[in-house]
Amino acid sequence: MEQGLIRNFCIIAHIDHGKSTLADRILQTTETIAEREMRDQVLDSMDLERERGITIKAQAVRVPYRAADGRTYQLNLIDTPGHVDFSYEVSRSLAACEGALLVVDASQGIEAQTLANAYLAIEGDLELVPLVNKIDLPAAEPEEHARAVAELIGGTADEVLRVSAKTGEGIDEVLEAIVERVPPPRGDGQAPARALIFDSVYDQYRGVVAFIRVVDGSLPRGAKLRAMQTGLVFAAEEIGYLAPEMTPTEGLGAGETGYLVTGLKNLGDLRVGDTLTLDAEPASEALPGYQEAKPMVFCGLFPVDSDDYPGLRDALERLSLNDASLVWEPETSQALGFGFRCGFLGLLHMDIVRERLEREYDLDLLTTTPNVEYQVHDVRGEVQQVRSPVDLPDPNDIESIEEPYVRATIIVPHDLVGAVMGLCQDRRGTFVTMEAIEQRQQIVYDLPLAEVVLDFYDQLKSRTRGYGSLDYEPIGDRSSPLVKLDILLAGDPVDALSQIVHRDVAYVRGKNLVERLQKTIPRQMFEVPIQAAIGGRIVARETVKAKRKDVLAKCYGGDISRKRKLLERQKEGKKRMKQVGAVEVPQEAFLSVLEIGSDD
Amino acid sequence: MTEPVRHLYVHLPFCASRCGYCAFVVEVGGLGSRDDYLEALTAELEMEAHRLGAIETVFLGGGTPTLMRPRRLRELLDRVRPLLAPGAEVTVEANPETVDGAQLVELLEAGVTRLSLGVQSFQPSLLATLDRAATPAMARDAATCAREAGFRSLSIDLLFGVPGQTADDLASDMEAAIDIGPDHVSWYELEMKPGSALAASGVPLPDEDLTATAYRDIVERLEAAGYRWYETANYARPGHECRHNLAYWGAADYLGVGIGAVSTVGGRRWRNAPRLEDYVGRLSRGEAPRRTVEVIEGAVARRERWMLGLRLDAPRDLGWAGPPDNPAALDRLAGLGHVESDGGELRLTREGRFVQNAVLGELMEFA
Repeated sequence: MEQGLIRNFCIIAHIDHGKSTLADRILQTTETIAEREMRDQVLDSMDLERERGITIKAQAVRVPYRAADGRTYQLNLIDTPGHVDFSYEVSRSLAACEGALLVVDASQGIEAQTLANAYLAIEGDLELVPLVNKIDLPAAEPEEHARAVAELIGGTADEVLRVSAKTGEGIDEVLEAIVERVPPPRGDGQAPARALIFDSVYDQYRGVVAFIRVVDGSLPRGAKLRAMQTGLVFAAEEIGYLAPEMTPTEGLGAGETGYLVTGLKNLGDLRVGDTLTLDAEPASEALPGYQEAKPMVFCGLFPVDSDDYPGLRDALERLSLNDASLVWEPETSQALGFGFRCGFLGLLHMDIVRERLEREYDLDLLTTTPNVEYQVHDVRGEVQQVRSPVDLPDPNDIESIEEPYVRATIIVPHDLVGAVMGLCQDRRGTFVTMEAIEQRQQIVYDLPLAEVVLDFYDQLKSRTRGYGSLDYEPIGDRSSPLVKLDILLAGDPVDALSQIVHRDVAYVRGKNLVERLQKTIPRQMFEVPIQAAIGGRIVARETVKAKRKDVLAKCYGGDISRKRKLLERQKEGKKRMKQVGAVEVPQEAFLSVLEIGSDD
Repeated sequence: MTEPVRHLYVHLPFCASRCGYCAFVVEVGGLGSRDDYLEALTAELEMEAHRLGAIETVFLGGGTPTLMRPRRLRELLDRVRPLLAPGAEVTVEANPETVDGAQLVELLEAGVTRLSLGVQSFQPSLLATLDRAATPAMARDAATCAREAGFRSLSIDLLFGVPGQTADDLASDMEAAIDIGPDHVSWYELEMKPGSALAASGVPLPDEDLTATAYRDIVERLEAAGYRWYETANYARPGHECRHNLAYWGAADYLGVGIGAVSTVGGRRWRNAPRLEDYVGRLSRGEAPRRTVEVIEGAVARRERWMLGLRLDAPRDLGWAGPPDNPAALDRLAGLGHVESDGGELRLTREGRFVQNAVLGELMEFA
């Protein structure tokens, strides 16, 4: 298709601000999807996405649109994930577009992530089409928020569209604005072919499917392709676009987006961000790619039942097929046996992976405290990367420890600024700036990532009654006085409960943790002391008293089955326990480490 | 052909009112249906008589069996008597407020050898919590009455762990119980049974440490008074152990008749459905009661033997019980001082008996 008739765009929105509904409505209005096939969040293909109302993987859907000027345009809607963990995927989507719809909830206004992603889009030279959504809501204040959006990105409030994706009001104007305001692609249709791989998924039957944006030239069906970075040469089995189902074509031309069925068996064979060209007539220079997604958060995943270890490995292998940002390696814990240390983009990513493992692969898992990657400078002048508290060298061998910091941007109503600053201070934050946005404050803090990955987001939500929004970006490592906090059960350290914490909070955190564990661990047949130790010195102790009575009372009228069933139920409960030495520890005990609340 | 059954349970579900802690199969009131029920009960007994050999023990439980008219109880016992082995134990449960001297004499004459009085407590406030109709004085009177009538084996039932029960209450109950001088005491911990009024009221049970102390105090006090702690919740003067319950704990076969009654015969266990009208209707048409059946064999039977056998103070023969699922746990439990094994025999230590459930959970899988 002629590039002048193509528009590639994405949607930037905060979670719950209506991005998926807007996408649904665009597909419906343009009759890309028949009325009877319409269901909520058509583009979110994973069950988890639909359930949690979030979009994880970017996809590109071709939307034919007959505009007011009488011409039919090819609009390519490239979906973007809405959560901070996936900002890396957002930037991938942006690189495939010339424009973006910037969606702001008409009752809630701009949120931190919206802002962060809008800035990403501006940096990427995208044309922004701002709109306020949900104008049908009684609490909507479209004028006020439109003015604020215009102020932020430049322009006038009149240019901000008023939309209700729910009722369909304003959708036609959105489609017209895409055609009028988003520039057409400007590649060279005659140059040697160059196509950017902006995403890929693994399909059980078809192998790796790559989503591509053709920049220059064209990719005909059946052509032999070359990945410019890796040098891999392969023939695409099929080429086409999403409508939104996969629709094969004769080829993709400059400016178009679509997919390739590669027949490759491993996602790793084809790197996202690589440039595809024709093997017979290669381009000389690759397109600028992406930085590789770097795992930020690490935790141990252990099967509750050690027989499930091979099953867990298979499941991780299969998940990795579709999630290049998930990294893992075998880990052995004295307490928990064989498992894997896994790296994730963030906490939500971790949650999603864990939930998919449990749900789709029917595994019972224990998750250890998430932590970040530390740079440990030892006394010999060498640097070690430490991703697990267990690997932290002896204190005497440590010269200094650096931990990753992030710059966190938080937007809250004025009256909650104090609460947020209190939280950031508790979490070792350093104040950077604060400024007013609309009726709210944008607060910027530098925070150790380790403090953010525990329950920071939950705490932010609870202290701001749900109004606080958060975005963060890594800003490098900083040196901190960190120590290892160990937990001992019945005198033996439990590696899976160890944490690396700041020296100043280590005592309080240790004390809180043993108190929580004391409440979580049921009585055993013997007394179980629970101790917290910093650098080998015991700083707190609680005791789980021994069971003194555990009998089934009455055996009435020969009703023996009832008693047996009680024991069977009890055994069922025990299965959720992990045997740590001689102590039976419920899963919640390992999770209790996650809730640090406040250190006072 | 399975061995003849030598133990019979007869369920008499009628009560004047339902007690707060009760979730048993009972019928409150229902005066008109009592005769019909007895007739149905007799019919079921006749239907199942082919399974019975000479009966060693009979247990008439409830409900409140002594709420039946003495003549009716006697008719029932008359049916049973020809089936009894010499020296058979025949127990009847009774609530103190429902017994009188003449009735007790009649029961003795009808062949009852053992009376089990549902006292529960001697504290008026706790009796009120439990919705029990009898006063402490009635309990004492009933015991005296039983002795005067000539009962040579008297048991009383008591409860601990009752909401509001103080250490003083318990001490006073222990002295009152010993003072009555029963031959046998069943002293159970109160269970919050789903479906009981007490559970619905939301009253919390006492703290685990308090009930553990109560339990241990009871064992100690009754032993000092000459009772043997022969089963988890049962204490007896020599020769007065409840043979009927020993049969359950020895995994013997037994036949139960009446609504809600359970039988276990030759590896099959069945439970009669609890609805009285349905039961009476079916038996009047010559049909068997509606039942749910369960097969007890293999690992299930073995686990039950462990579950039942470990309730007793006597060592259990491992040949009888079969091997434990986790033999490795034996050493650890011995190390903790909870079990002692000697060749082919195994017994729980005193400490082990207090936590027998946990011990059992270590040894057996109960999957």
